[in-house]
Amino acid sequence: MATRDPAAERRAWAAGVPGRGLTYERAHAFGAEKLHRWRLDNGLTVLLLVDTSAPVASYHTWFKVGSRHEKPGKTGLAHLFEHLMFNETETMKAGVFDRKLEENGAETNAATWVDWTYYYESLPSDRIKLAVKLEAERMSRLVLREPQVTSEKEVVANERRYRVEDDVEGTANELLYKAAFPEHPYGWPTIGWMQDIQGFTPEDCVAFYRTYYAPNNATVVVVGDIRERDLLLAIRDAYGPLPTQVVPPEDIVPDQPQLEIREHEIRKPTATEKLLLAFKGPALGDADHATLSVLSEVLFGGRAARLYRSLVVEQELAIDLRGWVSTFRDPGLFECWATAREGHTTREVQVVIDAALAGVRSDVVTEDELARAKARLELGLLQQLETIPGKAEQIGFYETVLGDPTHAFDRVEAYRRTTASDLRRVARRYLVDRARTIVRVLPEGPPAAEAAQ
Amino acid sequence: MSAARKVLPAPARFDLGGGAVGLHEASHAVPLVSIAVAFRSGAGVEPADKSGLARIAMRMLRRGCEGMTAEQIDFRIDVLGAEMAVDTSSSTVAIHAQVIARNVEPFVELLVRLLTTPTFPEDELGRLKRETIAEIIEGRDSDRLVAQKAMQRTFFEGHPYSRNAGGTTRTVAAIGREDVRDFYRRRVVQGNVVVALSGDVTPEGAAEIARKLVAPLPAGAAVVDDMPEPTMRPGRRLLVVDKPERTQTQILVGAMGTSPHDADHVPLVVANAVFGGTFTSRLMREVRSKRGWSYGASARTAVDRHRQAWIMWTFPAATDAAPCLELMLSLMDAWVREGVTPRELAFIQRYLVRSHAFEIDTAAKRLHQALDVELLGLPADYYSGWTRHVQAVDAATANAAVKNRIRTEDLLAVVVGTASQVLEPLRGAMGTLAESSVIPFDAE
Repeated sequence: MATRDPAAERRAWAAGVPGRGLTYERAHAFGAEKLHRWRLDNGLTVLLLVDTSAPVASYHTWFKVGSRHEKPGKTGLAHLFEHLMFNETETMKAGVFDRKLEENGAETNAATWVDWTYYYESLPSDRIKLAVKLEAERMSRLVLREPQVTSEKEVVANERRYRVEDDVEGTANELLYKAAFPEHPYGWPTIGWMQDIQGFTPEDCVAFYRTYYAPNNATVVVVGDIRERDLLLAIRDAYGPLPTQVVPPEDIVPDQPQLEIREHEIRKPTATEKLLLAFKGPALGDADHATLSVLSEVLFGGRAARLYRSLVVEQELAIDLRGWVSTFRDPGLFECWATAREGHTTREVQVVIDAALAGVRSDVVTEDELARAKARLELGLLQQLETIPGKAEQIGFYETVLGDPTHAFDRVEAYRRTTASDLRRVARRYLVDRARTIVRVLPEGPPAAEAAQ
Repeated sequence: MSAARKVLPAPARFDLGGGAVGLHEASHAVPLVSIAVAFRSGAGVEPADKSGLARIAMRMLRRGCEGMTAEQIDFRIDVLGAEMAVDTSSSTVAIHAQVIARNVEPFVELLVRLLTTPTFPEDELGRLKRETIAEIIEGRDSDRLVAQKAMQRTFFEGHPYSRNAGGTTRTVAAIGREDVRDFYRRRVVQGNVVVALSGDVTPEGAAEIARKLVAPLPAGAAVVDDMPEPTMRPGRRLLVVDKPERTQTQILVGAMGTSPHDADHVPLVVANAVFGGTFTSRLMREVRSKRGWSYGASARTAVDRHRQAWIMWTFPAATDAAPCLELMLSLMDAWVREGVTPRELAFIQRYLVRSHAFEIDTAAKRLHQALDVELLGLPADYYSGWTRHVQAVDAATANAAVKNRIRTEDLLAVVVGTASQVLEPLRGAMGTLAESSVIPFDAE
């Protein structure tokens, strides 16, 4: 009796589709489920995961374009597209795109960061083909004219005021990355510098769109209660005629290794001092990234974490403490944010942080600390996979940044394999005191310690 | 793709004895179990001079129990792959937990221990109070939060709804150990509790967990909610919350809304969706799409046991604040006077009915709705009959609801911004103005 081979069946079906244009590449194990990879002749990658847990589907379009692809003087252009893409197309007047989606019960939004931009629609599953039609339309037929560009520039300027100018953490974060990456594009903010936002022209937008918005620079991810073949034919018909574009090679200038401490202070109308402290970290694809993430969890993750317990619970020097390892394609930062309590300074907070970092460089953490960190990271991953849009986001993110859509599961395995001596090794490699970047936010008025006397 | 007609399961409700109720819905999509232990009374029934007590009392549960210190509890929760947080509102307080399914048994054992043998150590209470006060001070960095608190405090002045569930620096400082113990004695009783479980747990397993959690609690009746229906002061009022160096403003405009028991509640919710409930709503279109004045603009009607406020929100640059407020008020006025068109109504009904799929696409969301019905005493079919209720609204009932409920002559505008820059232009934008005042951003 012949053994059923679902992959061979898919290949045969694709080969028999009239007009072709569609190739089945492979299946990826996504936990206990199967994620199927298809490709159109024009280079569009399509990843499909059937999930029948609810009568909905989530349609994500990930582009390999982010703020890293911008030039000085034109920062924020990738993010501006996150706004412009909801505007007029050759067949739809401004506002029609959103109205069609709303009328069909869709949830829709977009996001941009250093390495990527993505757009999504979550729809009742019997309406998912609407997303196919609309996304294919705006991938190639967006209208970029003066009234739309001017209006969206103003909206983005207001977004920047909200997220940066009037936000203490947003301002500090922008300064941290500017100081840590003087050459690499990670040093400018994804939302863009205000003067750059205000200077964009429709010509800038058209040039950017014609360069990066192309099927061969995108991945479509669909997760949900879908009929795979039906949907694939719809995707093939809608995107198949779109031309491939030449995406220019990246022109990234990497930073020289940081060999000194870079320190900045700013004053803001806030009651307490804040500290941002960062070391150069590994790229997301580096094997050390998962290890350093476990170390971050040991130090900062939750009330029982070593530094949280020390600074917030026992010594009561800080009220907020967080750690994070940048999830970027190129090496990013291992960063720490701390908010000092009223009457205390970031200098006092930093003494405790420095001692704890020296501790993880000199000694191994306990097995209990390691087990706690691993359990929290596993919980975090499961929570990200709870919903259909959540699964689509994980798949699209790892496919776009690493070319590996199921990498989330590999990370959990990497966390499980991590040992205490691994943590000490990465601490020694990355947490180098003489090569870090520090931003302090001080309240306007007298220093906190003086005011407390 | 005919699956949109698929009938989704509904949470099961079961009696746990002594007035306690259990809710459960299984989902084996991921190996996680969610557990809520919720109580039918919240910050609204705590003493006004000790607001924040409900939240403090529940947070004290992980600060010490018989045989375990706070540090040991925190570690145990983490190492089991669990999370535990407290959610407090005017009408309810709840512990929300989630745990990796393989550890659900030891986690439930821990939870039972925390609920039944809390020790409320004096030193930990002092620590928690200092932490809470520091969090309140940090919250002043968020202009949006400052605006929301000022709106709540001023709009509901004199009513328990005016109290923020987190308390103020003064009221939190006034809470003593006896207050916490007394709160716990009166609230954490069988008749006041609802236990809800969803995720990778069978009906039998859920019932057993719920019984384990409830059986050791003392008998006692649900705490009576004797709050009066809130009212609002007449006239148009402006409150500017002064904060230095703002390049932007946060604008909230509030008027009295509805109770979920009002016959015109759903019609108002539907009409509000036309006004400010979606990306293409009137408010968003005029403020963001046409003028680029703000990144976002929306309006909503809150749902609680009693009548709640209707509030619209946006955040323009300081230089656009006055024309933006003037525009918001004129849009509101047109909405009340002229209502929504049949075409707008048909569009929003399609949106609300079809997007309902995302209100119920996970077991956890369906269970949360069932929990809301149970805790807030909502009509039994408030959520389960939602699409039917929405479809039953016609233009006449929608417009009557807006006209009868939303009074443009009685409203409160709260603006966070730099007063020296925005006060006078804003006063002009208000039209008739019964009262205007300025308070500092750290006012409580």
